[in-house]
Amino acid sequence: MKDLIVIFISTVLINNFVLTYFLGICPFLGVSRRISSALGMGGAVIFVMTLSASISWLIYHYILLRFNLTFLEYVVFILVIASLVQIVEMFIRKFSPTLFKALGIYLPLITTNCAILGCALFMVARNYNFLESVIFGFSAGLGFSLVLLVMAGIREELNFCDIPQVFRSAPITLITAGILALCFMGFSGILSF
Amino acid sequence: MRKSKFWSVLVLTLISCICGFFLAWVFSLAKDKIEENQKKSIKRAVYNLCPDCERIEEKTIQGKIIYCLYDKKNNLIGYGFCSEGQGYQEKIEVFFVVDKDIKKLKGIEIIESKETPGLGARINEGFFKNQFKELDITSSIKCVKHKKSEKNQIQAITSATISSKAVVSIVNKGIKKLKTLLGK
Amino acid sequence: MKKIGILNQGLWNNHPIFRQLLGMCPTLAVTTSALNGLAMGLAVIFVLLFSSLVVSSIRRLIPQNVRIAIYTIIIATFVTIVDIFFRAFLPPISKALGPYIPLIIVNCIILGRCEAFASRNSVTSAFFDALGMSLGFLWGLFILGSIREILGKGTILGFKILPSFYPPMVIMILPAGAFLVLGVLAGIMNRLER
Repeated sequence: MKDLIVIFISTVLINNFVLTYFLGICPFLGVSRRISSALGMGGAVIFVMTLSASISWLIYHYILLRFNLTFLEYVVFILVIASLVQIVEMFIRKFSPTLFKALGIYLPLITTNCAILGCALFMVARNYNFLESVIFGFSAGLGFSLVLLVMAGIREELNFCDIPQVFRSAPITLITAGILALCFMGFSGILSF
Repeated sequence: MRKSKFWSVLVLTLISCICGFFLAWVFSLAKDKIEENQKKSIKRAVYNLCPDCERIEEKTIQGKIIYCLYDKKNNLIGYGFCSEGQGYQEKIEVFFVVDKDIKKLKGIEIIESKETPGLGARINEGFFKNQFKELDITSSIKCVKHKKSEKNQIQAITSATISSKAVVSIVNKGIKKLKTLLGK
Repeated sequence: MKKIGILNQGLWNNHPIFRQLLGMCPTLAVTTSALNGLAMGLAVIFVLLFSSLVVSSIRRLIPQNVRIAIYTIIIATFVTIVDIFFRAFLPPISKALGPYIPLIIVNCIILGRCEAFASRNSVTSAFFDALGMSLGFLWGLFILGSIREILGKGTILGFKILPSFYPPMVIMILPAGAFLVLGVLAGIMNRLER
């Protein structure tokens, strides 16, 4: 139980996927303009990440390891993720056309979201068991969504600030992310025992 | 319509198979070299900490690998073991060598760590690791902030207390596990 | 002449990092030192070149509806080869770059070039485009890595170049520093564009 809590807290706060591992930057910069789209993207990412972590774990341990095919790891994982995103997209299009319209191009972009592939790769590298992998996938998605929401909130406020022309849009977002990363560094060491 | 879908699936499967076989071939060429590299870092650590060692034998007990070290007269002179745990930022993996009675620690090597550069990362430096050489481990190691006064104490690195404490607790945990696995 | 034009696109005009803002993940993650940036850049050159060549040569055979999946499989194959190469012959680099080598697969630059260029142009054009983009990526990584290494450790490629009384700004090597440096660089590039 303690291990699971450690994984949860460290993945959401201490070793946040976006601010520490730089995973998921493209959507992070692209979708964090408004809180509403950030919420939608965050939800989708949590769902896809948890599912892909679980399915990738099952495939890795019951097929790749058993038949000594670990070198196919990357190819298989990315195919699993791509298929999963396709299915989620069809699902959302059918059950919530408004959400589908809001997410627009960002949904297929989740496939190239480094965070999802990164999550699967980390889970294999750290040798998590099934339950730990599910919690890890969920926490990673939650951490990503958390930072995405914070960033969206900040950017909405930044719209009213007087930023020098050359720094508008991408540069100021990156600098803000840097300051955010600094703040999150304060979480390190809360798990010391 | 139907023909195009069939064609798509066919091309997809064909390309996947070609790629799969290609990868299998490349991997078979490099497989041995990769395994050799993984063993090298352990070997280097052992010879660093225990220069008398001539031969390393791997024993697997309950899924964990214990490295038994033999000198040139084929006497057992010590054990090597890998232990890991949570550091300040990420997990730290420590490899340590003990004598055959598990009463003295011959030394440690940090196999993997991602601590803060300039602060926690200094656990990799000589002055910290050397404190573990010839350390008495009949009682568990303690990490203190002042100059050490007892035989089983380690002085932590200034402003890297958490990383230093983590290494000490990882080594203690590892020694305990080694004792349990060997039944001592 | 036309080929040089294509090359120039990737090297400066349409720079993948500073202009298109693609491939951020590895850019920020591996540039903790100039050497790591170089190694990643070289890996991307290999993957982008070969993926573009393969995609361009079989472009007439790829059905439209599965093209992204096929590009991804081809890219993943070459990335696995690079990863195997590093693990077998350059273990310290493999350890330093860690999980970011397989993450080249989802590097938007490679998929983007395959989709936007390699699948619609001849093999020679695709070759020059891939070369231009990946060389552009390489110098971008090298600059970022060097800045972070000089300010953060006082060295470049391992050689000490700043005087010893300069206290290194450790933050430059940490994730926060990566964001800050790239943000400032992007701002500078915007200024240079005028």
